[in-house]
Amino acid sequence: MRNPFRTPFGTIFLNEVRINSKRIAPYFMALLCAGNGLLWWGWGPATGRGLAINSDFVIAGVLPVYSFLTLPLFTALFMADPVSRDFRTGIDPLIFSKPISRAAYVLGKFFGNFFVLACGQAAFVLTWFVLQAFPKAGVTTQNFKVVPYIKHFLVFVVISHLLLAAFYFAVGVLTRNAKIVYGLGVAFYPVYIMYQTVLLSRLPWRWKLALDPFVMNRGNVHDRRVEWMNQLVVVYDTDLIINRVVVILFSAILLTILYQRFTISERPGKAEQLLVLNLTAGAGGFYYDPPIIKPTLGERFVADHSHEKVLLPNVIRTTAGVRAHLRQLFAALAVEFRLLLSERSLVVIMSLASFLSILEVAFYNIPADVSHSAAYATNTAKLLLLFLLGMTVFYMGEAMHREREVRIQPVIWAAPGPNSVLLLSKFLASLSLTLSLMVLVGLTATLIQFLRGHTPVELQAYLITYSVILLPSIVFMTAASLVLNVLLRDKYLAYAVSIGTGVGLVYLYSQGHNHWLYNPVLYNLWTYSDLSGEGSGRILIHRLYCVALAVLFLVVAHLCFQRKSTRGLIVNGRLGGFAWAGLLGLVSLCIAIGTGMFLVGS
Amino acid sequence: MLTIKAFDKTYPSGVRALREIDLMVNPGMFGLLGPNGAGKTTLMKILATLLEPDSGSAEMNGIELIVDKHGTRKMLGYLPQEFGLYPTLTAEQTLHYFAKLKGVHDKKERAALVDALFDRVNLTDARRQRVGGFSGGMRQRLGIAQALIGQPQLIIVDEPTAGLDPEERIRFHNLLSETAGDDAVVILSTHIVADVSSLCSQMAVIRKGRILTSITPQQAIDQLRHSVWEATVPREQVVALKSRHQVVSSQMFGGLARLRVIAKGVRPSEEFNPATPVLEDYYFDLVNQREPAG
Repeated sequence: MRNPFRTPFGTIFLNEVRINSKRIAPYFMALLCAGNGLLWWGWGPATGRGLAINSDFVIAGVLPVYSFLTLPLFTALFMADPVSRDFRTGIDPLIFSKPISRAAYVLGKFFGNFFVLACGQAAFVLTWFVLQAFPKAGVTTQNFKVVPYIKHFLVFVVISHLLLAAFYFAVGVLTRNAKIVYGLGVAFYPVYIMYQTVLLSRLPWRWKLALDPFVMNRGNVHDRRVEWMNQLVVVYDTDLIINRVVVILFSAILLTILYQRFTISERPGKAEQLLVLNLTAGAGGFYYDPPIIKPTLGERFVADHSHEKVLLPNVIRTTAGVRAHLRQLFAALAVEFRLLLSERSLVVIMSLASFLSILEVAFYNIPADVSHSAAYATNTAKLLLLFLLGMTVFYMGEAMHREREVRIQPVIWAAPGPNSVLLLSKFLASLSLTLSLMVLVGLTATLIQFLRGHTPVELQAYLITYSVILLPSIVFMTAASLVLNVLLRDKYLAYAVSIGTGVGLVYLYSQGHNHWLYNPVLYNLWTYSDLSGEGSGRILIHRLYCVALAVLFLVVAHLCFQRKSTRGLIVNGRLGGFAWAGLLGLVSLCIAIGTGMFLVGS
Repeated sequence: MLTIKAFDKTYPSGVRALREIDLMVNPGMFGLLGPNGAGKTTLMKILATLLEPDSGSAEMNGIELIVDKHGTRKMLGYLPQEFGLYPTLTAEQTLHYFAKLKGVHDKKERAALVDALFDRVNLTDARRQRVGGFSGGMRQRLGIAQALIGQPQLIIVDEPTAGLDPEERIRFHNLLSETAGDDAVVILSTHIVADVSSLCSQMAVIRKGRILTSITPQQAIDQLRHSVWEATVPREQVVALKSRHQVVSSQMFGGLARLRVIAKGVRPSEEFNPATPVLEDYYFDLVNQREPAG
């Protein structure tokens, strides 16, 4: 029998897996899913209720929700451009000149990417599976289980996303425009909620179940006794099986339509603009590349002066002094923003982060101890922190290594800008990005608060919470990520170290090893009352400590930056960049030590 | 004038890329010739402040290139061998960005400079296109445009014509020759002898990290006057002739081989006729010589 991996389909499938294995997105998604799993395990709906976290009932109940809440945007991200990427990079003629069928190509691409997507999604259940070995107070577990994880994951997650993936993939292939798919990805939630409320809600229950691809309309047994639920073995009834068959059938239909309509021909587009560009003015005649044996016989090249030589105007250049450096910083920052705006993943990540951060305040009743606004601000700030960490690490890594990856680094490094300009532009761009997410979440939360009638909306509560808790944390995380990228000089290593450190610290904090000195983001160390009551002084000093550490990180990054600058503390009779960095580092170190000692003492 | 003294560079891998490099370069176009892996790019990177030599110094217009990196970067225009651009920015945004980094902050002056640069490199029609859609030649011309910002006194172009089609190469030669007329030191690093032969008034040959010679192309050709011989012989004779004579190049066509040999003042054998020396003869003769002991 022929080895399936040696067929054209298998080759394309494996190549897609290989390409994805060299991208950061699958790992990022897997880490987010694993982190999500960790949170749902330790602090999820089963915690504290006596429900066994690895019971059939909990696994089968949680997975459809997990599948619906976090994954559709990732499905859009993964399935948007596997085919259009081939056309964009120009590898399409090399592929289509080989003896492969359209079906092998389309299906190889689809299933290769879907496999990677499913592997990323599986990080959630894998985390739950592993966590069975680590008992935690408040979390009830039964005997070690394997099969329910695999079975329910395939039924409730993989099959649901098969249809969504086929849809996004088909749109991406037929339009060859990934942005349309990203747009559809962002629109998923409103569209799905409308589908549920407008269409499905009017249908009989069995139809509701049959036509719901995410199986969100299954029966609710939460009113039963805990012991009963823990002993429950989930059996797939006929309705559910029909539902799953319908979903697979629709996916197959979509892929068949795609196969029928897919063409490999080049589409007329913007490339034609290049063809009409007049490039001939500079050449005076045909070029003859002399062979070695009959060369130009040492004749001098005579420049073609048939066109008038363009004189370059004299310009005034200022590259020294604070004003000049600030102007260079603004220029670099403007470019960073432009590049960030063209980052396609931003739409998906920002939407996902905003949506998940306001999820609780939007759909659940948050107990208002001090005020509704304080409760909303506190809740969103806590949920947002994880996303801010992820975004900081991811986008800072991209920004720090972008120049090297697009090979523009030697040109920029040879320009007379100081290292501080290059580093601060990255720092400030990343900071602005996370700040904009913070503002977006804040505005959405106030709007939701208003719409839900939890008035009055006190903006001051949001301002205080976000500026005291989130802002210094973002500054710290951005600076820490920057210095890690400078010191490690490898993007993926920096990702791994950042995420590993983050997860490790969260684990330590949750185990009770939580001190102000090594908890720069104040995870689980504050309530809203602390911000305005007697504890506010200590929090403010901690925030100062946190910012001082951030400045120290920036100084270390400046001193260790790979691009060398003029040596010496005094340059041209003035304090050089190293001297200024050293002074700033010294001051921030003193502040960090002083505030740190206060925190230890109090 | 650019003066380089005793540059030495060994990479952490143990490869000794430069060995005691001494060079004096006058204003005008200077060609640095050498085979792949000779150390040209290492030397260019050091001069462009991107790499530190283990020892040695370089000075130009009173500025120590290795010590005063900021001062060097102020007078530098650099086009690396391999470079990219932000694909999502337009050509205009790219040049404005580099102009700002080079300290051209006045908006009107910068706009005039960018206009003139686009005119000079003949990219005016493409200035609002994203550089991601540029051809190799267009990208290279945008590269030289950014290197020309701010009247640089030291212009370093590393293998600029590699990969360009013949028409683009001519166009690039025109650009470089215009640039060299601006009283700047232009260092052209290349392994294409014809580029140096066409463009440069001075040249040096580098091999295995050593400067073999620093000379003008005309002097190089003069040294070989009455010493180059050419013959067209059956293919089977090539091995025997190569063992007897100093063959600088051979080219096969049909069943024959065309050989060029160097023999000072004496006809090597009856098949050979005198030929006019060219810079390629000098270069191949030099780089194919046995490495001196030690």
